[in-house]
Amino acid sequence: MSSVRTGLPVPLRPTAKRWTRHPALARALGWGVFVVVAITILFPTFDVSLQDCLIRATPFVFCGLAVAVPARAGLVNIGGEGQFAFAMVVVTAAVLLVGDTLGAAVLIPLLVVAGLFGGMLWSGIAALLRVTVKLNEALCTLLLNFVAPLVLAYFVFGPWRDRSSFNLPVSKVFPDAARLPTYGVTQLHLGIVFAIAAAIAVWVVLDLTRWGFRARVVGGNPEAARRAGLPVNRIAFAALVAGGALAGLGGMVEVTGVEGVLRPNIGVGFGYIGFLASWLVGHRPLDLLGSSFLLGSISVAGDSLQINAGLPSTSVYVLMAVVLLLVLSIRGVATRGTS
Amino acid sequence: MEDQRQADPGPVQGMPEPGPDRAMSHPLALETRGLSKRFGEIQANDGIDLELRAREIHAILGENGAGKSVLAKTLYGVSVPDEGTILRDGREVVIDSPAKGRALGIGLVFQDFRLIPALSVLENVLLSLPTHGMRLRRRAVTAQIGDAAERYGLKIRPRARIRDLSMGERQQVEILKLLLSGARVMILDEPTSLLAPQEVDALGRVLRELRNEGLALALITHKLVDVRTMCDRVTVLRGGVVQVRGLDPAGLDDAKLVEAVVGRHLPQLRTRPRQPPPDDTPALEAVAIDVEAERGRLALTGVGLTVARGEIVGVAGVSGSGQRELADVALGLRRIRAGRLSILGRDVSDGRPAKVLAAGAAGVSEDPLATDVVRGLTVTEHMALSRLELRKRALGYDWHALERQVDELPEASILKIADGARQVSTLSGGNVQRVMLCRAFARDPGFLVAAYPTRGLDLANVMAAQELLIRHARAGAGVLLMSEDLDELFLLSDRIVVLHAGRVVASVDPDLTERHDVGSLMLGLAA
Repeated sequence: MSSVRTGLPVPLRPTAKRWTRHPALARALGWGVFVVVAITILFPTFDVSLQDCLIRATPFVFCGLAVAVPARAGLVNIGGEGQFAFAMVVVTAAVLLVGDTLGAAVLIPLLVVAGLFGGMLWSGIAALLRVTVKLNEALCTLLLNFVAPLVLAYFVFGPWRDRSSFNLPVSKVFPDAARLPTYGVTQLHLGIVFAIAAAIAVWVVLDLTRWGFRARVVGGNPEAARRAGLPVNRIAFAALVAGGALAGLGGMVEVTGVEGVLRPNIGVGFGYIGFLASWLVGHRPLDLLGSSFLLGSISVAGDSLQINAGLPSTSVYVLMAVVLLLVLSIRGVATRGTS
Repeated sequence: MEDQRQADPGPVQGMPEPGPDRAMSHPLALETRGLSKRFGEIQANDGIDLELRAREIHAILGENGAGKSVLAKTLYGVSVPDEGTILRDGREVVIDSPAKGRALGIGLVFQDFRLIPALSVLENVLLSLPTHGMRLRRRAVTAQIGDAAERYGLKIRPRARIRDLSMGERQQVEILKLLLSGARVMILDEPTSLLAPQEVDALGRVLRELRNEGLALALITHKLVDVRTMCDRVTVLRGGVVQVRGLDPAGLDDAKLVEAVVGRHLPQLRTRPRQPPPDDTPALEAVAIDVEAERGRLALTGVGLTVARGEIVGVAGVSGSGQRELADVALGLRRIRAGRLSILGRDVSDGRPAKVLAAGAAGVSEDPLATDVVRGLTVTEHMALSRLELRKRALGYDWHALERQVDELPEASILKIADGARQVSTLSGGNVQRVMLCRAFARDPGFLVAAYPTRGLDLANVMAAQELLIRHARAGAGVLLMSEDLDELFLLSDRIVVLHAGRVVASVDPDLTERHDVGSLMLGLAA
């Protein structure tokens, strides 16, 4: 056998090994062990309910995915917080507009779209500035976090304030059709399923699709991507907007699944905890389910710490930070060993 | 054309005849006995005995991976040997840190220099000297620099900023730094690799001055010509083992030395006659193009250049003359500001890499680690970022088909590229370069931009890569070749264009032109 054009002989080379391996399995096993230990030993000990943990972890998953997708393209999205809040505004607007006229079967998908759209819009500002004037997306998304709650506050203090709320800054209570269905007598809502589905979908897109591969190239070395003729700006824009959409879906789930009313301070800090959750697992979407559950548990445990042990509520953040620093330093030591 | 690396370097002016008697009569400055160093599975140095005498320039010759740099780092104290002893002026010493090395009067000139471009020569020198309280001794050190410069024939302006200096001048600053910190043993790691021919001559003069002042100089190199023109004695390393121990190079012919370096006779590079190109469309046609560099400065001005199919056009120039920008526009990575540019018959003035790739062009870039290696991606995945056919499969790509394609590339086995599942970012520089070369040669490009294609390769792979370049050219590819090695340009090019300050100043036939004339053109002097 020889190359047609150059006439060089083609010697045999031993077939290369398979090009993928799966350390993912080991990690999945690790998370499984953790969940079992948590449910059987830790939760009873610290008086924590599994249901609360799942509900608390759900927005963390969305906010984590909002970090993981742009991270694959090398972008830092710290704006989960703002995207989450702005999406709640858009969702509430939709509820107030058509909530009383539509049935749940139509309204819920509509609100999902509204949430995605709201998050996209908010991250779209940063994405647009990123690709047009090269404004650093981390800075821009971070600053927008301070703006979104003000937009939310404007509406609940102003036009949307419920007259029967004794002057509290809250919107009208959502109609039942605008609430995510719950399972039996529990408070476990459909949003938990959304979160798991979203994590799986993101994993498929990032790890198995052509777009995911291109995003990985852009994230690994944008100059190499440019040299390979990839549309670097378009991919970066899409990744950041997709991240915003996921955070937006989180906002939709929180406001329709848990709260049922728009008020200030819903989900304050969730964006940052999601950021932490994603960094904990190196932005791997399936592992994010585990880390969100871990942080959700710590967050819920904080409540009982406060009540039973008399610790201040902020001790939860200390605990989370310790976990993050621990994981990062272990990872640092591990990589130093290999290089 | 014969292999230029093995050609006679020509007469050297003003150099006293080195001889073994002369060299051996001087006291030992630095000696190693049985020095060994192991990195994982690689025995980088294996029982190395080296004698470095005062008043000599001692070449340490070997190809990449022979253990030269490890030896240099051991002598300077960057790495600590597993076994063996080092003697300085006959006394056994332990050099476990660069500070210790410097205290013993041993200095190392790094290949890529250790200077801060934004600071002046004086400030860089001050940084390297031990501090005395808070005061910067500007005036005293300026005077010292002046003295040393005069004494050793260095052309140094203390107030000049490093970033404005040529590579040769920067190197002289490095040498000066070592002199002022009291080095008596100076190790130079590949000192000629970044220099133009005239600068190499200047370096040779400086080194001879230093030798005559009584310093011991070790010159690490992989170029025979350096050994011939500058060195009194030569030690050859191969695979971490000493092959030739401190002999006078005059007593060894080129074939002997090459055999000691690579361990066998290398075939001469076969050059084939040029054949008529497959069609008349030039691979590259640039008409009066202007190209902007950073901050609006023009990097290329009115450059006109045609590369025909089947032709290798070499680009010579001191670094920063516009080669990088030329390579970039040729791959659609930069817009041109004025003029007209077409590649393989398609207009690419607007700078769109995808369009240029689709036209059938490929490139090896100047610094693949910075511009081509994607963290976390495997060799096979890197291959996808080129002109190789990438089939879709379900939502993703058919990686197995691509892997088979790569396996069937003749270049993959000639260059012995790493396993497809390896991550490229974990490979060594030479391995990365081989992957990049293989990718560029894949699917027979009609136009190939080869920027420093043999950088980081060992001698055997340099030959393989050069052979492949010529074969692809003879099969109809137009090649635009940049190289820092004039020998390589003369060896491979059908035509050499010389860039100076962003303009094409000459286009010459390498068979009819002297190397030094090209060197003069590169430096902006009339030939």
